[in-house]
Amino acid sequence: MKGRGAATLESTIAYTVLGVLAIVVLFPFYWMIVTSFKGEDQMRSVVSMFWPKPFAIENYQLLLAKTEFAAWYGNSVFVAVSSTLLATAVGTIGAYALARLKFLGRGFMASATLITYLVPPSILFIPLYKQMQGLGMANSLAGLIAAYPSFTVPFVTWLLMGYFESIPEELEEAAMIDGATRFGAFYRIVLPLSAPGVLAAGLYAFTQAWNEFLYALVFITDGKLRTLPVGLASFIGGDGYGWGYLMSGAVLTTLPVIVAYIYLQKYMVEGLTAGSVKG
Amino acid sequence: MAVPAAELRSKAVVSGSGTVGLRRVLGPDYRMGYLFVLPIAICVLSLVAYPFCYAIYLSMTHKLVGMPPIFVGFENYIRLTWDGFFQRAVVNSFIFTFGSVIFKLGLGVVMALVLTSRIRWRSFWTGVLLVPWVAPTVVSALNFLWMFDGSLGVLNYLLVRVFRILPQGVGWLSEPGTAMASVVAVNVWRGFPFFGISFLAGMKAIPGELYEAAAVDGANPLQRFRHITLPGIRNIMIIVVLLSTIWTFNDFQIIYILTKGGPGGTTMVMPVFTYETAFGAQRLGEAIAVALYLLPVLAVTIMVLARYMRQGRRR
Repeated sequence: MKGRGAATLESTIAYTVLGVLAIVVLFPFYWMIVTSFKGEDQMRSVVSMFWPKPFAIENYQLLLAKTEFAAWYGNSVFVAVSSTLLATAVGTIGAYALARLKFLGRGFMASATLITYLVPPSILFIPLYKQMQGLGMANSLAGLIAAYPSFTVPFVTWLLMGYFESIPEELEEAAMIDGATRFGAFYRIVLPLSAPGVLAAGLYAFTQAWNEFLYALVFITDGKLRTLPVGLASFIGGDGYGWGYLMSGAVLTTLPVIVAYIYLQKYMVEGLTAGSVKG
Repeated sequence: MAVPAAELRSKAVVSGSGTVGLRRVLGPDYRMGYLFVLPIAICVLSLVAYPFCYAIYLSMTHKLVGMPPIFVGFENYIRLTWDGFFQRAVVNSFIFTFGSVIFKLGLGVVMALVLTSRIRWRSFWTGVLLVPWVAPTVVSALNFLWMFDGSLGVLNYLLVRVFRILPQGVGWLSEPGTAMASVVAVNVWRGFPFFGISFLAGMKAIPGELYEAAAVDGANPLQRFRHITLPGIRNIMIIVVLLSTIWTFNDFQIIYILTKGGPGGTTMVMPVFTYETAFGAQRLGEAIAVALYLLPVLAVTIMVLARYMRQGRRR
């Protein structure tokens, strides 16, 4: 009886803590969505604070018709998708080489990649900006796509190195004894087995590129070429009652990341725990 | 490997042919290895190593936007050392970083503990608590900017009108007394799930028999936590704390969006100071000196962290 009492107490505490944490975590998003559906009249008054009344979609209409939000959305999709494909391709083959192949300098490259992953963007953004300027790529989406591998590639590589190392080497050896080449063993055996890991790594690369702020803020000077995070931030301080359409923009910016996350949560959580810091 | 090393060696001795000799020096998989690593190498060299060296050079110049750089040695660093605004940014950066990391550590442990306890829908709860980590930081920062708003913000509405804790609203981000605590809160909110999920993975790896044995020996929950759980996740804790320290110290967007360093410089941290010096005051050389000022500390942290991370992988 004593054991059961302790167990009940334990789960009561656990559920209470979970409930509080969940409210703290989700409230800002709830508030974002509610605000985005409030009309201007309701914003000025404090009537029905916690629910839109009436339910207004004027913020979304205003956002899409009167601002450059749609263009920014296109820019963000283009930049994030391109840099994700690039980072995933480069990171996958690189991680395989660093995890499995035997060649001189492998250990050095593995360390260099890891250290690169740890170098913060705040010390790289000015020289990278000068570099892109020198190449005539500042103020262009190409410049962002060229700069984003500085953080996406080391991250994807590091994540997938852990993944590849966890796949038994005997599988490849067996395939090579049966006549497969080294590349064949990688392409036909390891790659299909690592599909969940590659997917998780790709998703993280996508969210990183989608969320990136500093480079996009510094590189892009043309208002039409902004990405979503910088575009959204540029709404601040417009007019005092601009919160409605700012929040509708925030909702639309969060949407793809959260939808992908809900569908692929299992892979992302596993990828993060198995790959980035393994105990 | 398909070809045993000994066989390889004997082949090299017998034939002495170029390819086999190269294989001996460069390793059996050198062709595919170098081919596969080449893109990463280009990326690391052109996007990190070169800009990094260029940054060190620029930090030793007087560089105004649109003018050629003039080499001045360590002048920027020396000037900064005695600059009151810079000193304040350094102090603020440390307050912001350590304040945030301590709370993230505490909340992360709590999150991992409740997620490993007897609950249903574990993966659902894990998914919910990870949301701040996945959502775009700019969006989260804007949400808090709106909630913290002095006149129309929901936080004041809740505290004053609903719960009646405060007599009147507070300008969370516009008053010097509360601005730093507010930006720390946002950073903690966004970052604690990463601590939690990492500790969760570490706790799952601790063998259950250890807890059973401790229970048989009469250890209470607190003792079990201190003597089994904590040592079990020690290495992960070190990694996560160091990683988060680097990230938090260099966090730009939360503070840039919430306060831009204000009010009156109370939340001015080094990354925002760097940005303002470069693109507000247009002094690039000095701006990079700000960013690189604590490079020795950063370098040591990165080296220690990289060691732990590689060790963690090898086990």
